[in-house]
Amino acid sequence: MNKLLLTAFLLPGAWALAQVPGTMAIHNAKIVPVSGPVIAKGTVVIRNGLIDAVGDNVQVPPEAWVVDAEGMTVYPGLIDALSTVGIPGAGRGGRGGVATPAVPVVEPAPVQRSWGPEDRPQTTSWLLAADEIQADDRRIETVRSSGITTAVTFPTRGIFAGQGSIIDLISGEKGAEMVLVPAAGQYLSLGRGGFGGGGGGGFPSSLMGVIAYIRQIYLDADHYKLVKEAYGRDARGMQRPEYDRALEGVIASKRILLPANRTVEIDRMLRFAAELKQPMILYGARDAYEPAAAELLKRANASVLVSLRWPTPPVRSPDQEDTDTLRVLEERDKAPTAPAVLQQAGVKYALYSDGLDAPRDFQRAVKKAIDNGLPREDALRALTLSAAEIYGVADRVGSIEKGKIANLVLTKGDIFDDHTTIVMVFVDGKKYTPVETAPGGRGPATDEPGNPGGNQ
Amino acid sequence: MKLLGMLVGCALAAFAAGETVLIQNADLYPVTGAPIKGASLLIQDGKIVDVGPKLVAPKGAMVLDVKGLRVYPGWIDSATELGLEEIGSIRETNDTGELGDFMPQLRALSAVNPDSEHFGVVRVNGITSAVTFPALGGRGGTGGQLISGQAALVHTDGWTWEEMEINRSVAMCLNFPTAGGRGGRGGGLPPDLQEILPGAGAAGNAQRAVLDQIAKLNAFFDDARKYQKAKAANAPDFRRDLKFEAMIPVLERKMPLAVAAARANTIHDAIAFAEKQNVKIVILQPREIAKAGPELKAKNVPIILGRVLALPDSEDAEYDQAFTLPFEAYKAGVKFALGTFTNEFVRDLPYQAATAVAYGLPHDEALKALTINPAQIWGADDLLGSLDKGKIADLMIADGDPMDIRTQIRHLFIKGKEITLTNKQVRLYERYMGRQ
Amino acid sequence: MKRVLLTALIALAPLGADTIVIQNANIMTEGPKGNFKGSVVVQDGKITQVGEQVLMPQGATVIEAGGQYLIPGIIDCHSHIAGDGGINEGSVSVSSMVDIKDIINPDDIAIYRALAGGVTTANILHGSANAIGGQTIVLKMRWGKSAQEMIFAGALPGIKFALGENPKRAGNPVGGRGAGTTQVARYPATRMGVEDVIREAFNDAKAYKAEWDAYDARVARGERPIPPRKDLKLQALREVLENKRYVHVHCYRADEILMMIRAAEDSGFHVRTFQHVLEGYKVAKEIAAHGAGASTFSDWWAYKIEAIDAIPFNAALMARKGVLVSFNSDDAELMRHLNSEAGKAMKYGGLNETEALAMVTINPAKQLGIDKTVGSIEAGKDADMVLYDGFPLSDLAKVQKVLIDGTVYFDRDKAIAEQATKDAEKKRLQDKERAAQQKQQPTRRPNQ
Repeated sequence: MNKLLLTAFLLPGAWALAQVPGTMAIHNAKIVPVSGPVIAKGTVVIRNGLIDAVGDNVQVPPEAWVVDAEGMTVYPGLIDALSTVGIPGAGRGGRGGVATPAVPVVEPAPVQRSWGPEDRPQTTSWLLAADEIQADDRRIETVRSSGITTAVTFPTRGIFAGQGSIIDLISGEKGAEMVLVPAAGQYLSLGRGGFGGGGGGGFPSSLMGVIAYIRQIYLDADHYKLVKEAYGRDARGMQRPEYDRALEGVIASKRILLPANRTVEIDRMLRFAAELKQPMILYGARDAYEPAAAELLKRANASVLVSLRWPTPPVRSPDQEDTDTLRVLEERDKAPTAPAVLQQAGVKYALYSDGLDAPRDFQRAVKKAIDNGLPREDALRALTLSAAEIYGVADRVGSIEKGKIANLVLTKGDIFDDHTTIVMVFVDGKKYTPVETAPGGRGPATDEPGNPGGNQ
Repeated sequence: MKLLGMLVGCALAAFAAGETVLIQNADLYPVTGAPIKGASLLIQDGKIVDVGPKLVAPKGAMVLDVKGLRVYPGWIDSATELGLEEIGSIRETNDTGELGDFMPQLRALSAVNPDSEHFGVVRVNGITSAVTFPALGGRGGTGGQLISGQAALVHTDGWTWEEMEINRSVAMCLNFPTAGGRGGRGGGLPPDLQEILPGAGAAGNAQRAVLDQIAKLNAFFDDARKYQKAKAANAPDFRRDLKFEAMIPVLERKMPLAVAAARANTIHDAIAFAEKQNVKIVILQPREIAKAGPELKAKNVPIILGRVLALPDSEDAEYDQAFTLPFEAYKAGVKFALGTFTNEFVRDLPYQAATAVAYGLPHDEALKALTINPAQIWGADDLLGSLDKGKIADLMIADGDPMDIRTQIRHLFIKGKEITLTNKQVRLYERYMGRQ
Repeated sequence: MKRVLLTALIALAPLGADTIVIQNANIMTEGPKGNFKGSVVVQDGKITQVGEQVLMPQGATVIEAGGQYLIPGIIDCHSHIAGDGGINEGSVSVSSMVDIKDIINPDDIAIYRALAGGVTTANILHGSANAIGGQTIVLKMRWGKSAQEMIFAGALPGIKFALGENPKRAGNPVGGRGAGTTQVARYPATRMGVEDVIREAFNDAKAYKAEWDAYDARVARGERPIPPRKDLKLQALREVLENKRYVHVHCYRADEILMMIRAAEDSGFHVRTFQHVLEGYKVAKEIAAHGAGASTFSDWWAYKIEAIDAIPFNAALMARKGVLVSFNSDDAELMRHLNSEAGKAMKYGGLNETEALAMVTINPAKQLGIDKTVGSIEAGKDADMVLYDGFPLSDLAKVQKVLIDGTVYFDRDKAIAEQATKDAEKKRLQDKERAAQQKQQPTRRPNQ
């Protein structure tokens, strides 16, 4: 009886949510829970936005809206471990670090020149992504069409950019409705790219200046806490402490994210985080394919986010000389093996889109890792349960288990294959149909002709 | 007997006008021949008049007995800005790099400051002459020039630039267009090496700009040729044009073009241009000698190599890439001389040559690269570059191999006149040694 | 004594066996034994014997020098290589809070090229954009090792000051070299201001030190006060006042050298080395009396007006007046031939070969306070040595081998062979990439 409405939902191009059924069942599908073995043919029952049951012998409740998923596969919704979706003005989540971003972030109105750490340059540590999210950001639907149901989205401007939030990618009215975890960690970057050292733009103007600044902030934060505590115990006779919102933001962050791509940067940031005594997630990790880098990460028991934006050669005319160094060539050759290397080494890692919004770009990037030695199930885990574990939300998302949030992806074919179609995406139990696509699943890549919207 | 005396007397009278010096008991290194131990060299009127195992001092001659010391021809630095630039960071002291695209009429010679401190500093280490350029590698000026003017070959001593002049028009400086832009970053990488660095800009536009510039160059040369014809034909409406006048020696193949070109492509293009225009060419600071060598040799194009003590031009290049360039040139059979391409390092010229020797260049070839080779390349080998009769007496007397750092120059002669081995720096040293 | 398994020892053999004997070398020890033809024994990274005759240990790898010259590893007292993200924090006049140690880049090819020029240790300095610059560090050129492994263990850290034109450039944004008109002027704009910046900074540092000394005293008395705020900028200067950090001062003119001596003495610290110090010869007396070392160029001059009175006799003159002098490079290219720069001390000023070689070996070692471990070939010191195929102070000679801590880090023959392998690998990757690109769409929009 509900099959009529069901067909309506399956019409391509349909955006409408209409009524959200309280109970749904995805029936006769192949299920890949991630947390357990694959179920060749089974059922997932969704009730009130949560997974109520999953298995090969599950009763379909009579009141449930049934999706006949014969020949299809259900996966947990993918988690983008570092994103900027929903944040206004953010072009792409960055690698940070010392490299010049390809798409420069729009600068705000000119600020006062900074004359030292006390001026708190490039710092908005008190920001929470949850407060900034614009629910009508078009990127939400684009990203969701890749099968991503959950994103850890961050403000990314500046040295202390603010804290990220974990959000479910529902299309709603208010950003607040999307929030799973309001404060997921402080995003740090090592300043604007291209240090001239001349200092015309204020402090800091060099990498060592940025590092010194970060170090000073944490010293100041420790001191700030001591003073506040002492004042709180007995204010009498004590000068009242200053209010420093930059320090408040830093103190409120339970972990930090630091960028590192080259092995020397990975080494440097691991040491730095240990010095600052801050739990740290390292993002970028381009050279993690190097055994020395993987070894360092393993020994430090680090959590790593590996960017899916693999380095690509520039387009050259045939007679133009190839000027890339051996180092750069090796990097381009080996970078997509990084996830496989980390997997082998037993390092805790997840993958992130690094601004690859277009579903085709995202899928191809993941496929490249698979083609370079990462087993499919490990790729999937790196985009689901591992990400959840790194952020401490594995009790809520990241696999198809009873009690977890009903974030699911229904596909015709293996999720990361070139010709797979994503049929449906469930977020918080709400059903969405991906953006209109060309045959073969996910539309053109950004650098293919005929892609008007590109993500350049 | 009296007749002989009278004849000698007359001879002496004739010689009285110029200084006569007999250097004896010297180990002579003529360069154009094998070294001669314990020999003599006679200087008169600024020239070498005799060289031999035993010469007799004419009456009134000054005799310099230099037992145990060696005599070499003075060094020639083939690329400097001597007299034209005093302090690198102060534009007011720099007369290189004029404005204007086509300026062949500019002459470096008459802008040379004969009292530049640099001359005193460099000549005490044996550099007796040098080529000074109106624009080297884009330092100073706008770097927008195609033809920047005439380089001059000068002695490093003289009361005026007139006295210092050996050849006021020894080469016509041409900045061959490359995609990296002309004039570059001032003293750094040559422009056409900059073009191949990452981020050098859209290839298409750069290529078009280069072709435009080459077209302009060809047009200018064609116009110069028209002028040359009109002048020869005494055309009725003929009017003197200083720019085209300056081009005539180039067209007559009396003055070569001097073109900076590092990469094999640019070298090839520059040579092709010179062939098309039927002019002579000298290539400055080529880097890709292995690739360009065969063509340079086949077309008899000489080169001026830059400082041997230099960094490789890319991260992956062999660490001794610059050190082995002179040896590469020698292997390829290309005629080359050395130049330091700045003023501050001119005095280190012999040590640049020493490095070349350490990395394969035969010692004799290194010697030639500082003496007879530049003399030949710059068309002055009738005057300079070896200890031969009839040549100008530019020579140094040293207590060892002058390419060895331990060697001191004991005497220096420029145009047959002994030069006091002092300069501003020596005077400061002596003054402050005396401070109690 | 390193605990090394026998199998591991054999495996490590190609890199540098534990025991090495370099025999039949012309050794210039820069130590009490002087120069002689003989041999050196290296064990566990240290020199254990030096002499005309040595006792050959069992299982030693023999390097037959065949008359080649062996000198102590060259020490460059002023270098800016091996740093990531800029060596100048020039935005503020006092940037003592930044530290070169945080940005060591062991992948910098300049390290390898310096090594190939005989340099085994380098003092990596902050730039000269400000009167008081950042903290500095001494590294060994252990090419292939990590950043931490390059740090010279036990070398006291330093800090860089700068006088003269460079630190006042940002104070003159209009018309000054290299500055645009839209830049905000940064104090100071004159040499007077440079002095003021230094004196003020140490005035603040003294107060900071007093604060912390008072706190430490209270803690010693058993109290538990809230500590003062730790300020990285002033902390580095406090370390200077407490003789825990060396001060290296970039300077040119005689007047500013003298100014610095008086300012330091007034502020309660000593200058460890003057760097560049091209007019040092004019005030050699005062430098010697203050006890500072001088690290200078051999013969650079005329590139800026403050270098106009530079003379190549500077080093010899200062040395004769009792100053401890070294030659440095401040340049990745010059760094590769410090041996012949040292030779210039023989040519200009008539120092003998031992005195000249000292300029790049034992003298900079003393200046950096590391002369107990490096700077000469003596038993007990680190096995940092260079083999030249000719008289080492001349450009006619070239480096054949370089040892650091008894490991051969550079070998010219190997370098030539490795280059071929590198070139082949590069070509392979280029071809692979080109082939992959052909397979894709020919009409691709260039990605930015």
